[in-house]
Amino acid sequence: MSSPYDVVVIGGGMSGLMAAISLVEKGRNVAVISKGDPVCCLSTGCIDLFSRGDDPIGGIELLPDYHPYRLIGVERVKESLDIFQDIMRVAGLPYVGDLRVNRKILTPFGTDKITCLVPETMESADCDPDEYIHVISFKGLKDFYPSYITSGHVNSGYSIFDAGVSSTSAIAERFEDKDFLQEFISWLLNLSLPDGKIAFPAVLGTRSSMSIFNEISNRLERDIFEIPTIPPSIPGERLFNRFKNLFLEKGGSLYWGKEIASVEKLGGRIEAVTLSTRGRPTRVQGTLFILATGSFVSGGLYASMDDVRETVFDLETYLPGERKDWFNEDFFIPGHTIEKAGIRVDSTLRPLDSEFSNLFVCGSILAFTEVMKYGCGHGTAIATGVAAANMCEELL
Amino acid sequence: MMKTDVIIIGGGSTGCGIARDLAIRGISHCLIEKGDFASGATGACHGLLHSGGRYVVNDPEAAAECISENMILRKIGQKCVEQTGGLFVRLPGDSKNFRDRFLKSCETIGIETDVLSPSRALDLVPNINPSIEEAIKVPDCSIDPFRLCMLNITTSKKRGGRILIHHRVTEIVKEHGKCVGVKVREGLTGREMELRGRIVINATGAWGDKTAAMAGGSVPMTLSKGSLIVTNHRLTNMVINRLRPSSDGDIIVPNEAVCLAGTTSMPVDDPDNIDVESHEVDLVAAEAEKMIPSFNSTRLIRTYAGVRPLLSSETGDDRSISRGFRIIDHQNGMFSIMGGKLTTYRLMAEKMCDKVVEVFGLKKRCRTAEIPLEGQEQLSGYPLSKRLKELKDIVCECELVTRDAVERAVNDVGPRYIGDIQHRTRLGMGPCQGGFCTYRALGIMQESGRMKPDESKRILKEFLQRRFKGIRPALWGDQLREEQLVESIYLGILGMEEKG
Repeated sequence: MSSPYDVVVIGGGMSGLMAAISLVEKGRNVAVISKGDPVCCLSTGCIDLFSRGDDPIGGIELLPDYHPYRLIGVERVKESLDIFQDIMRVAGLPYVGDLRVNRKILTPFGTDKITCLVPETMESADCDPDEYIHVISFKGLKDFYPSYITSGHVNSGYSIFDAGVSSTSAIAERFEDKDFLQEFISWLLNLSLPDGKIAFPAVLGTRSSMSIFNEISNRLERDIFEIPTIPPSIPGERLFNRFKNLFLEKGGSLYWGKEIASVEKLGGRIEAVTLSTRGRPTRVQGTLFILATGSFVSGGLYASMDDVRETVFDLETYLPGERKDWFNEDFFIPGHTIEKAGIRVDSTLRPLDSEFSNLFVCGSILAFTEVMKYGCGHGTAIATGVAAANMCEELL
Repeated sequence: MMKTDVIIIGGGSTGCGIARDLAIRGISHCLIEKGDFASGATGACHGLLHSGGRYVVNDPEAAAECISENMILRKIGQKCVEQTGGLFVRLPGDSKNFRDRFLKSCETIGIETDVLSPSRALDLVPNINPSIEEAIKVPDCSIDPFRLCMLNITTSKKRGGRILIHHRVTEIVKEHGKCVGVKVREGLTGREMELRGRIVINATGAWGDKTAAMAGGSVPMTLSKGSLIVTNHRLTNMVINRLRPSSDGDIIVPNEAVCLAGTTSMPVDDPDNIDVESHEVDLVAAEAEKMIPSFNSTRLIRTYAGVRPLLSSETGDDRSISRGFRIIDHQNGMFSIMGGKLTTYRLMAEKMCDKVVEVFGLKKRCRTAEIPLEGQEQLSGYPLSKRLKELKDIVCECELVTRDAVERAVNDVGPRYIGDIQHRTRLGMGPCQGGFCTYRALGIMQESGRMKPDESKRILKEFLQRRFKGIRPALWGDQLREEQLVESIYLGILGMEEKG
C-alpha cells in the first residue's frame, strides 16, 4: 500500500486544481481525484470576480459577511488572484486585467459580458461603439453567427472562412497545423479589410494559442481578439489543460475519470476514500482532504424533489426554502434562490456541523457563493482554492 | 376582398377536421388561426386516442363515440397514430366494484378488454408497479395532435382551402343581423384584411365564448385547466390508466421519445393566462409514481397546461361534465361547435359539416371516415433508423434535427415564428428543451437572410422566457443541472442578463 498523501483533493475543477497546485508548489504530496473534465471547460475561460458593478474588489467588500469571499477576507482574495496571474504568466497563458476595474468583452450574441481577468487573446475585446470591427467566422460553424454581432455594431462587417471542418474543437485543432495557419493568414491578408479590429470566435488553437494569436496579430498589424463561444469552449479548455498539466509537472498525482465508491472514517477524521476502478478498487489515503466537487452542474450537489444532498460525504447541506421558491419567475434576472444551496463553513473553510476535523471545502459547492447572482464564478473558485490550501499548509 | 362559403375560426383539431371535411365535400372555406395549428387544447393534451375506457362507467355515450372514432382513426391515420394499446391498472385499495362496472360497460359498448394478471401486465410493461392487483387491456393508442392537424390541412390546401395561421379575428362583420364575414389581423405585420363568407364556424375551444360574443352570441362553457409533465424517455410503451373514477394524475401516455403524465383539473377564467403550479407537479408525479414506481427518479423535462372547453352543467365538479360535444346555431349565420375531445374530432367535424350542407341545401355526404389522411406518405415516422440516413449538420442534438430540416421548415412556413419551426421539426423538444439549438436555429435563419438579426434576438428572448415558464415547476435532479448550465450559457456567456 502506498503511503498517504498529505492532501487529497476531491474535484478537478478550477478550485480543486488551484488548491492542489498551491500545495504541490510548496512541496506537498497531493492527489486530485476527478470524475472527468470539469465545468471550467464549458466556461469562457475569463475570471469573473464580481461582475455586478464596475469595481470588483469594491463589490466584494459590500457582500454579506457569510459570502465565501468575506469569510476568507478581501486581502486573501486579492493575493490569490495575484498568484493565479503569476501562475498563468509562467504557464504561457497570460491573463490581463485590473482587480479594481471590471472590463467588457464582446459576446457571440453581440452583447457585452462584464468580467475581470481575461486571457490576452481577449484583451482588445472591449470595443468603442464607433470603431470598425470585422468578424471572421467559419463555414458551417453552428455555434457562432456573426450577424448577431454585426447587427448591434453599426461599423462592422464579416467574412466566412472554410476550414474544412465545422465544430469549434475541430477548427481549433486545425490551427495547430502550421500550413493551415499560413493559409488562413494569407486569406485574411487578401480580404484587404478596412482599419479596425478583427474578431474571431475563440478557436485560434488549443495548445499553442498564444503564438498563433501573436502571429496573426503581427502579420495583420492590427488588434485582434477572440470571442468565447457557447460550450464546448476552447478558452475554458485551454485554462483547464494548463492547470492540469501544471499540477502534473510539479509532481501531483491524478486519479482521472474516477468516482468515489466509499469513505473510510476513523475517530472524527477521514482516513481514505476508495475509488471505483476496474478490477480491484483503489484506496487513496490522506492526512487532509479538500472537497471541491462544485455545485449542481458538476454534481457536487444533487437536488431531489424537496432536498439538496452533498454527493461524496453526505455533509449537512444548506437548503434555501421549498422547491416552489428555488427559482425566480424571470429567466433573465440572474441568481435564483437555489444558488444559495451548499455547504456552510467557518472562516477556516471547515464544514459546520460536520464530524470530520480534517476536511476543508472550497469552490462553488460552498453555500451562499451565488455565482450567477454576483457574477463571481472562477473568482470564488480561485480565492477559496488558495485559501483551502493555506489552511492545509498550516496544519501540515 | 376574398369570398368563400365557410369561414372556420380556430386551427385546433376540430377546425382542421372541418376544413378537411368541407374540402372533400367540395365546399370552399377559409380557416383562421391566431397562432400555429394545435396551439390551444389540441396541442396541450395527453395525445391519447381514447378507447373510451376512461369514460365508460360515467359517460357511456362519450365512450361509444371514442371507440368508434378510435377504430376509424387508426385506419385512416396510420402515421400519426401509434397503436400502443392501453392498460387500466388496479392498485391495492382501488374499488373492485368499479372494476366490475368497468368490464360490464365495456362489454355493453363494445370496447374489447382482456383481464391480465400482474405478471402478464409486467411482461407487457416491465416498469409497471409489481404490486398491482390486475390490469385490463384496452385498445388505447397514442396520437400526435400536431401531425393530425397538419394532415387534415393537407387535404384542405390541396382542394383550394385557404389557411391563415397567425391571423387573429378582430371583428365579425354583420349585415342585417347576419354574420357575413370577418376582419383579421396578421400577428407580426399587423396587416389587416376582410373576408366574406356565408357561414362562420366558431371552433375556438376555450376561446369559444369570447368568439361567440364578437357576433353577439354566447356559449355556456366551463374552462378547466389540465397540467401535464413530460419525461425524457419512454417509461412505458403502452398507455397506463388508473382503474378508478377519473381523478388527478391517472394517465401516462407514451408519445414519440417521451411520456406524458397528467392531468389535473382546475377551474380557470382566462385561457390566455395559465401556469403550471409546483403543487400540481407534485400531485401528478405522486400519482404517476404509484403506477410506475421509477417515475420520480426519471428526468422530467417540461410541464405544460391546456384548457379544456367543457360544456357547462349544473353540477360543480368539472370531471362529471360530459365530454360530449354540441353544435350551437346562434341564428345569425354563426355556428359554435363546443366540447368534445381530440379522439372525436372527426365526428365533430362530420356533424358540423352535415349542418353546413343542410343550410346550403346540398346533398353531399361525409367521406372523411373512408379516405386515409393525405400527405402521410411523405412522413418518415419517428424511428431513428430511418432518420440516421439523412443526418448531417445536426443543429438539435437531443432530437437529431439537421440544418437542412430547419431550412426546409423555414421555407415551408416562413421564418417568423420559432414555435412553427419547432412544431414541424421537433427542434428543442428534447432534454435541453431548446437550450442550445434555438440560438442556432435563429442564427441559421438570419444567416440565410430570411430574418433580421434584431428580430431573431427578440424571438430568442421570448422563447427563453416561455421555455423557463414550462420547466420551472419541475426543476430538480438532472433537469436542474441542465437548467443551471443553460442559464450560465445565456446569462454568463452570451451576456443576456438584465443588467443593473
